[in-house]
Amino acid sequence: MPGAGIGSGMSRVVVGDRSLGHRSVLSAYLPVAAVAVLLGFVPVVIGDSRTYMGLAITALTFGAYACGFNVIFGSTGQLFLCLGALAGVGGYGSALLADRADLPFLVTIPMAAAIAAVVGGVFSWISVRRSLGVIFTGIVTLTFSLGFGNLLLGQRDLTGGETGLLIAASQDTFLRDLVPAYYVFLGMLIGYLLLFRWLQRSHFGWAFRALRDDEMTAELAGIDVARFRVWAGLIGSAMLGLVGAIHAHHNGFINPTTFEFGRVDVRTLVILAFGGIGTLMGPVIGTVSFAVVDELIRDLRQLRIAVEGGILIVLFLGFRGGVGPAVVSLYHRFRARTGRTGS
Amino acid sequence: MPTWDPGHQAMLEVTDLSVGYRGADVVHRVSFEVRAGETVALIGSNGAGKTTTLRALCGLLMPSSGRVRFAGQDVTGTATHRLSRRGMAYVPAERHLFPGMTVEENLVLGAYPDRADPARQESVFELFPTLRARRAQLAGTMSGGEQQMLAVARALMSAPRLLMLDEPTTGLAPVLAEAAYDALDRLSAEGMTILVSEQQVPLALRVADRGYVLEEGHIRLEGDATSLEHNPDVRRAYLGIG
Amino acid sequence: MLAVFFDGIVGGLQLGVLAVGLSLLYGLGGVLNLAHGALAVSAAIVASLAMDAGWPAVPAAVVGVLVAAAIGLGLDQTIMRPVYRLRGESRVLLSLLLTLGAAFAIDGLLGWRYPFGGLSLRIGGGPVTILGVRMRSGSLLASAIAITAIGALTWLLRRTRTGRAVRSVIQDEVGAQLVGINPGRVRTLIFTLSAALAGLVAITQSMTAPVSVSSGFSLTILALIVTVVGGLGSAPGALLAGLLLGIVNALSSFYIGTYITAIILLAAAALTILVRPAGLLGRAD
Repeated sequence: MPGAGIGSGMSRVVVGDRSLGHRSVLSAYLPVAAVAVLLGFVPVVIGDSRTYMGLAITALTFGAYACGFNVIFGSTGQLFLCLGALAGVGGYGSALLADRADLPFLVTIPMAAAIAAVVGGVFSWISVRRSLGVIFTGIVTLTFSLGFGNLLLGQRDLTGGETGLLIAASQDTFLRDLVPAYYVFLGMLIGYLLLFRWLQRSHFGWAFRALRDDEMTAELAGIDVARFRVWAGLIGSAMLGLVGAIHAHHNGFINPTTFEFGRVDVRTLVILAFGGIGTLMGPVIGTVSFAVVDELIRDLRQLRIAVEGGILIVLFLGFRGGVGPAVVSLYHRFRARTGRTGS
Repeated sequence: MPTWDPGHQAMLEVTDLSVGYRGADVVHRVSFEVRAGETVALIGSNGAGKTTTLRALCGLLMPSSGRVRFAGQDVTGTATHRLSRRGMAYVPAERHLFPGMTVEENLVLGAYPDRADPARQESVFELFPTLRARRAQLAGTMSGGEQQMLAVARALMSAPRLLMLDEPTTGLAPVLAEAAYDALDRLSAEGMTILVSEQQVPLALRVADRGYVLEEGHIRLEGDATSLEHNPDVRRAYLGIG
Repeated sequence: MLAVFFDGIVGGLQLGVLAVGLSLLYGLGGVLNLAHGALAVSAAIVASLAMDAGWPAVPAAVVGVLVAAAIGLGLDQTIMRPVYRLRGESRVLLSLLLTLGAAFAIDGLLGWRYPFGGLSLRIGGGPVTILGVRMRSGSLLASAIAITAIGALTWLLRRTRTGRAVRSVIQDEVGAQLVGINPGRVRTLIFTLSAALAGLVAITQSMTAPVSVSSGFSLTILALIVTVVGGLGSAPGALLAGLLLGIVNALSSFYIGTYITAIILLAAAALTILVRPAGLLGRAD
């Protein structure tokens, strides 16, 4: 029956990536280096202000979340609505392992990230095995997210419930100081961007693009869609868990609201959608834009939820690929036009 | 609304119609017409473009170019439900019945938006006595042949001016296929205007007044049924003779 | 224990009414409206504003429901248009994203403008005893309204031509078009009706416990769980699942605890998807 295949439809809705073509290794990774340098200077400018540094670190955190989501959703179209929960697995996992099991936090952080990876991988695997489409994957992960939140609230002996958890493990370490922490988060974000770029250019990236374009054809071409979906789930969830863990130790305190759906998932979705789902720079463009917007509506903080909702609508009504790619294509069209009338 | 003169204008006029999927045309600039009261067959093998053409006529597909006129009015690209209300009834090969509803409920809905006319329902049952016996049966539980009958019956409930059928013999045993065309023959005798697409050429030409031969999206031949039946190319390609 | 059970039925009836619109909407077009709870809450807020302005309860409630319906109609005519232009998974995805945006936009605006907004209706009249159980008049009225709504909906779907048209679009959309039914019009009708029902449930809920401006998302989740368990697209399924989950909710909350109850309900939805995605009464295709 002719008509849009599942994957191609998804591409039409959501993704605005361009074919990568052949580029030298240098040019492929140059944008990441540029971002690293630019953002590296930020503490030089605002390092003295606690508020601004805090905002900057939050921006980096969400940029990292967006990178993780980019791998899961942008690459393979799996709608995980449990981003916050996966980060929470990392955060609470690392906190509990460090404080209760007395392990050094440098060990518990990757451990917790691994646990998050397994959780996410399981969801991918189940979703593939049971052929759950977008809607069912979304609902199942959403129930996990909400269930996890309730678990945190309910098991107060373990998790401190509503009051939350004060994390002793990293109290006197560099993670708690703003400027060093900033560079840790920046390093993580840059690492994630490098990873994404590497994935894009690797066999994974090729498979991801194929299965996103037309899943059935990809299967027929011999691509093991299941395997790549699970890999994307594993990697992306590890990324999310890692952010959660590092955030926990940096902040020194976490509670269920730190990782709740309304706070993490929606924001991450809007950020990535704005910057361009499936694109390398999407997370960066998105999170920087939002840091700015946040400052602008600072007095109307309570309006932020409404604003996020409104932006979500506008984005998916108008800028399907994201504002970032829309701007880029506008630029290209402008170049082409002036090129033609040329000098 | 322009008035339509059945004496001079065909009921259905298709002019230079091109239809395609995802940018590639499958049907190329076909033109044909169906006059009031006649039965026209669109014959061709699998993939010739018959289904695509019919779907474009009834609004399920948007033509890429060309024009469709029904009773003097331009209906190119009009939505399916609106065409149905204008008197164009379409019976697709997949039938698209309402599986969770009984025969009776399907028929009643056939008359939408009007109330089902008991007299019309009676005449439909007379045409398909099997349906009368199964009026309370769920459409989804019926056999292929019965579903085909119900699909045609449902289309008739709206007292259409034009009845279009896409390969009505799909999935039917030869006996049932014959019976289907017997029914069409009766309808034709009662004055119904019919356009039917068909792979099983002898059946179609037996009942049709005229025919068009569709091949790879182009109309290769046209003529009245008898001359088509005797046409050597047609005989070779579709009747397996010579 | 009987008292808890009856409480469960009261809650369950309302859950059913809350979910049925959501379920029908999915059956009609494969879309999920995540703004469902926000629509419900808007009815409650409008009703409470009207009552603050001196209106008696009944007209205030009616206006609330009408406003919710109007917002629903507005959403259908705006954000749902591009959704219906797509097909299959793209359509589902876009519906999730756009309605999520609408949910947050509406919830955010209401929360910002009326941070302490909410509705709580006190129904006069002392408690009534049924089968040896003392029921608050609020619970009884809420149940009565829910039952009436269910009855009206059943009559609409089973006995009217419009209802038959709705069922036909759910069973075979192309077939419906072929007989002259406009699926878009049917979807608009059900979207608006669904919003009205959501608003109605917010009003009836407020008769037993306050409905606050922040209840939107949890109402959506509840409706979603009931819809999934009952079977996406099945109205009787939504009503049955509502009743069952309402009873489970009441028993579990009373004997076990709030958080575990939430987990149980969420798990019910997840398990349904994993084991029998068609739900209780949905069509398994």
